[in-house]
Amino acid sequence: MKTNKRYPNFLQRITSVWYRHFRVYTKNLITNGLPPFLEPLIFLAGIGLGLGNFVGINTMDGLSFLEFLASGLMVSTAMMTSAFECSYGTFIRLEFDRVYDGMLAAPLSVENIFMGEILWAGSKGFFFSLAVLIIIRIFGVINTPGSFIVPLIGFLTGLMFSSLSLFITSIVKNIDQYNFYFSGFLSPMFFFSGIVFPVSSLPLPLRVISELLPLTHSVRLSRALTFGRYEWINILDVFFILAFTTVFAFVGIRRLRKKIID
Amino acid sequence: MKAPIISVKNVSKTFYNVKAVRNLSFDVKEASCFGFLGPNGAGKTTMMKMIYGKALRDDFYRSSINVMGFDPAVDSLSIKELSGVVPQEDNLDEEINVYQNLFIYSRFYAIPHDEAKKRIENLLDFMELSDKKKSMIKELSGGMKRRLIIARALLNNPRLLILDEPTTGLDPQVRHTIWDKLRRLKKEGVTMLLTTHYMEEAFEICDQIIIMDKGEKVLEGNPRKLLDKHIEKYILQIINKKKAFCLEKSLNPKKVRKEETGEMVIYASDDLKYLENLANCLNSSDFYIRQSNLEDLFLKMTGRSLNEDQ
Repeated sequence: MKTNKRYPNFLQRITSVWYRHFRVYTKNLITNGLPPFLEPLIFLAGIGLGLGNFVGINTMDGLSFLEFLASGLMVSTAMMTSAFECSYGTFIRLEFDRVYDGMLAAPLSVENIFMGEILWAGSKGFFFSLAVLIIIRIFGVINTPGSFIVPLIGFLTGLMFSSLSLFITSIVKNIDQYNFYFSGFLSPMFFFSGIVFPVSSLPLPLRVISELLPLTHSVRLSRALTFGRYEWINILDVFFILAFTTVFAFVGIRRLRKKIID
Repeated sequence: MKAPIISVKNVSKTFYNVKAVRNLSFDVKEASCFGFLGPNGAGKTTMMKMIYGKALRDDFYRSSINVMGFDPAVDSLSIKELSGVVPQEDNLDEEINVYQNLFIYSRFYAIPHDEAKKRIENLLDFMELSDKKKSMIKELSGGMKRRLIIARALLNNPRLLILDEPTTGLDPQVRHTIWDKLRRLKKEGVTMLLTTHYMEEAFEICDQIIIMDKGEKVLEGNPRKLLDKHIEKYILQIINKKKAFCLEKSLNPKKVRKEETGEMVIYASDDLKYLENLANCLNSSDFYIRQSNLEDLFLKMTGRSLNEDQ
């Protein structure tokens, strides 16, 4: 058996998959590119300004409600977009459009395809995070220098939730079963990960659960960077995100491989 | 003799408890066309998938597949770098147009941009799709989609082309166009592996065929030689079985083979005169006599009735 490898190298293979998703996404620039800016606008206006009037000044860990909420939204939006991309998006590519079957005829492995996809979901997380950042800076909600780095946390959040979503995709039997994932896991997580109120105000059992939720760690990192309030626990947050991503990406891709390769 | 480009030995494949492929062995010569014929569920597609690593064979150590020096279960990327695959189901990227489909695919091979653009123009021209460059996939007819998939499979100038039912469901014009293109590719030295239901297709482009049934090889050889060897030269076909009564009494079972299906009956023989004499008692509108073809051979070998997998 020969061993000389003439096919594209690992990085070329991953980025070629990334490029496919990039081209498909940027094809409809307005319909795909506008919502990430509109969403935080509506959210901050509706919840932040409306509900914020009933919340006392500087009661949220010493921040105004709008500051508190905005720093959380920068990562929750990354969660949502990457979760959609690798649940419904992946399922449709897998079962309906058979995009992966087409890709697998080229020199790409199942692992390459999904690593490229995770990388793309991370990029989308970065972009959605950036969109929120742009909005909150335009409206002067947050003006700290640290907030510029938060889209990187959006990137990590995107990696984390796309890995989890690929794992979920490897389990679901039909597309309706994602309802459990979204309504039963992601939506509740939004409320218990410290985006709309501090986790510290929860009773102890709920605080423990909150610490196990992946989004909690992204939110804490986002806030630490935005307001320059670093704590030792932030190192653990980074480790949590990296470990969570690695485990779910590994198991998810392995299971998808079994589904795709006969 | 030159080493074969594909060598398959004792390969089987089981899905749950169904044996899709049973102990199959064959060799494919470079720059030839090798065809798989068989009813649905015979294991043709599964065999094709095992060639480029989309399916993994059973019993890795007691069987072997060697494709251009690589084992697909170990190094499918090397094989795919040198091959083009036309799958049975259309799997073009519906979200982007014709040109982008090819361009994005060229990135998977890391073909330099300028080179990719040139090749895409040539391939669109070769497949007569140049005026559809900007069309979305949804706007294409079935025949155009197939031609585009073949163009996509040719982007990397493959040495081996794997075609899984390339013309199923297409009209005769498109089929003939595609056959014409495939013959041209063969002349240029591309090796082809092909599955088909169309006996004509196998006859037109294949140098060597395997007839498969229930995962097993039933016959292997050159299509013309197989016809000579395994089936009578002529067929007398009677559409309404009842009309055949008049010739039954004079039938010599040594000279003719009889096959019945539903309402129809056929008599096969090497002796054309004999069949013509048999038909004397029939009205000219009730029968016809023709040369046997690969389809007759196929039906003789795999049976006329449907099995549960079809």
